[in-house]
Amino acid sequence: MAFLEMRGVDKRYGGVVALDDASLSAERGEVHGLLGANGSGKSSLNKILTGVVAPDRATIEVDGVATRIHRPQDAHHSGIAAVYQELSLIPDLSVAANIVLAFESTRLGFVQRRRDRDRAEALLERFAPAFHGGILPIQAPVGSLSPGEQQIVEIAKAIAREPDILVLDEATASLYSAQVEVVSAVVRELRAAGTLVVFTSHRLGEVYDLCDRATVLRNGAVAGSVALAETSEAELVELMVGSLGAPRRRPAAEREEAKKVQGVSGVPRLEVVDLSTDRLEQVSCRVAQGEVLGLGGLAGQGQSEFLNALFGAVRIRHGSVEVDGQAALTHRPKQAVDAGIALVPGDRNRQGLFPVRPILENLTVPSMRRRARLGVLSDAAERAAASRAGDQLQIKFGALDDGVMTLSGGNQQKVVVGKWLLTDPRVVLLDDPTKGIDVRAKAELYEVIGQLTERGVAVLLNSSDDDELLTLSHRVLVFFEGRIVSVLAGDDLTRERLVADSLQVTT
Amino acid sequence: MSAPERSSTSTLLDDARTWLLQGRLPVTTAIVLLLATLVVNLVVADNFLTAFNIRSIFANVIPLAAVAVGQTVIVLGRGIDLSLGVIATLSSVVTVSVVETRGLTAALLTGLATGAACGLVNGLLVAVVRLQPIVATFATSFVWSGLALYVLPPGTAAAPRMPDVVVQGYRGAFLGIPNAAWLLALIGASWLVLKRTRLLRHVYAVGGDEHAAFATGVRVGRVQVMTYVVGGTYAAFASFAMLANSGSADALAGGGLTLASIAALVIGGTRLSGGAGGAGGTIIGVLVLQLLTSVLVALRPPTDVRQLIDGLLVILALALAGLWAGRRRGR
Repeated sequence: MAFLEMRGVDKRYGGVVALDDASLSAERGEVHGLLGANGSGKSSLNKILTGVVAPDRATIEVDGVATRIHRPQDAHHSGIAAVYQELSLIPDLSVAANIVLAFESTRLGFVQRRRDRDRAEALLERFAPAFHGGILPIQAPVGSLSPGEQQIVEIAKAIAREPDILVLDEATASLYSAQVEVVSAVVRELRAAGTLVVFTSHRLGEVYDLCDRATVLRNGAVAGSVALAETSEAELVELMVGSLGAPRRRPAAEREEAKKVQGVSGVPRLEVVDLSTDRLEQVSCRVAQGEVLGLGGLAGQGQSEFLNALFGAVRIRHGSVEVDGQAALTHRPKQAVDAGIALVPGDRNRQGLFPVRPILENLTVPSMRRRARLGVLSDAAERAAASRAGDQLQIKFGALDDGVMTLSGGNQQKVVVGKWLLTDPRVVLLDDPTKGIDVRAKAELYEVIGQLTERGVAVLLNSSDDDELLTLSHRVLVFFEGRIVSVLAGDDLTRERLVADSLQVTT
Repeated sequence: MSAPERSSTSTLLDDARTWLLQGRLPVTTAIVLLLATLVVNLVVADNFLTAFNIRSIFANVIPLAAVAVGQTVIVLGRGIDLSLGVIATLSSVVTVSVVETRGLTAALLTGLATGAACGLVNGLLVAVVRLQPIVATFATSFVWSGLALYVLPPGTAAAPRMPDVVVQGYRGAFLGIPNAAWLLALIGASWLVLKRTRLLRHVYAVGGDEHAAFATGVRVGRVQVMTYVVGGTYAAFASFAMLANSGSADALAGGGLTLASIAALVIGGTRLSGGAGGAGGTIIGVLVLQLLTSVLVALRPPTDVRQLIDGLLVILALALAGLWAGRRRGR
């Protein structure tokens, strides 16, 4: 029996299966990699171990003792600490206060500041080279540190809890290579001291450098548990992709059409040259009328950032954007809408819908100005417009006056698409539009994408579902750390190539 | 020996930088405002520096100072208590009602318990029943007010009074400094003690980022409840000052303290969304408000525009405090 045993882990989100009888088994004094392509379930498994996500079914044993983990606190009590890319630091508190938060040294309820400072300092000592100038900012508020330094503090905070199991889930993503080396050295020390480190990173180099063994997930189940010294990168990719399933390609007829689409246009519908933001580096692309351009790669490599930059929701540092040959570099979403660009955001509840308002208003708000006379709206015209969008997208609703949250997830997403349809967009940006909606709604949304392209709309599709990306896109741009690392088209448009390029593996 | 010198300058600079980044600048703004109002008072009021005037300024400022420090603790934890002034009222009528039968010490303890209990109810409504703080405490303010009227109906013949010792002591002086000024120092000192507790550290954490604090293992609900209990206790302390100042209780007084306490903490640089600021600034904010009032008294405007001018002066002070803080954020 291994030190950590997770068995029979099931997790569904609505109708979507994230984990199906997954398992993980690892020993003390080991750095264990957890790998998988998008949608493989690795982040669900990580979050179940740390109590952030509650499983539908799971057996978790730590050191032979059955353990129930339903909240982050349960994980703390079982000696499990976690570091994610998103930080859990309090910006206004000092570095020392953050590191000892919730287990301060106290006497009669009073914080012993000097003692806490010494503890934090002793802990951070080994990370010193990772800080600017090698000086530890013990008393500085965390908010004044650089993102990488904050990430280091977050790691130190987890280690301060002296965990038996340390989960590092993309904890190195925002670090420079010199900082990664410092963290690696500390991880090795922890391993030597008998800690189990569960490690996830999009950089395969780090995985090979640190991990002894790795568990590879595919479609929510374990595809294999391997010793990394004996496994090549190509073999890892094969495990992630699976050799059983036939390589997924677009049907030949559609591929023909794709070529046609790219051939037709003289002027591209959308042309982006060297677009840079804080997290994007010189991204360029051309999209033809009626083309679906996929944005692929591991989640969070800049795909969403790119769409938001085109929509004017992220500050652009450099670059140019043209729609139908006219400059369309936007600094505010309003300008993007005027230029014919529409965004269907990933978080539809927060950015896509007015949750407490009726379906009618949700559909008509962006295009109201076109129908208003002297600022006054005609109820009949509004209803006619909303019904038009509803019919086109086959949105299933009782009455236009019903609250938008009474709809199913798929129909909610159609409302988000529908509101833009009424503005006659020329470019539609879809940011993971099928996340959390069921299979039928997905199929219907795919039809909508088809309708958009028939009208000559250029579609940019970011999706965390690789199959969806491959089925729908004429071409796919693969993102890695804010850059485009490859463009897949024609015969290269396969799952193998997509996963290999996402991980920067040359096969 | 220039090298060590240079390094000491650079640590000084670093200290200054840290000081600024920790959000102390608004306190500097409050101090500037305090000095400005002081100067205006010296110019417009010829009796400003008389012992009597200074003593009465301190005597009048204590109730607001105590309520405002309590409010600061609550706001730091991302809460707000609109019933705090009325808690002071309730605590004062309870205290004065038992003082003749049970004696001073028992009365004060009863008053403190009343304030803490009211705070506990508010805290539970917010943290456990999960009502919005503004709504929950607005509602309870009517409950406390109703209880106060029940305990001591206005117009009661032979209303109970505080012992004369208390009233005279409050107006007296020790070592040439008004006793009320000593009390203000005591309120400040209580904050310095409180600030070193684990509770206050967690209050800052909850106010700074509730979810991060929870994920780190801070008991968010318990911390929130405790902020209201501490706030209620400070309100009880305010009620003692109110009693000592006037000798008797009024079930209709005290309501105005609530909004003034919020104005004071904003002037003092505490962030209304929680997690940054402190009671030091709040006390300065209280003094600024008090000195504005005394300017108004000295100018003797026609009574029908007095309230208007008072309101405009408070807005001016808030705007000045906010402007500076806003510019710092846009840095």
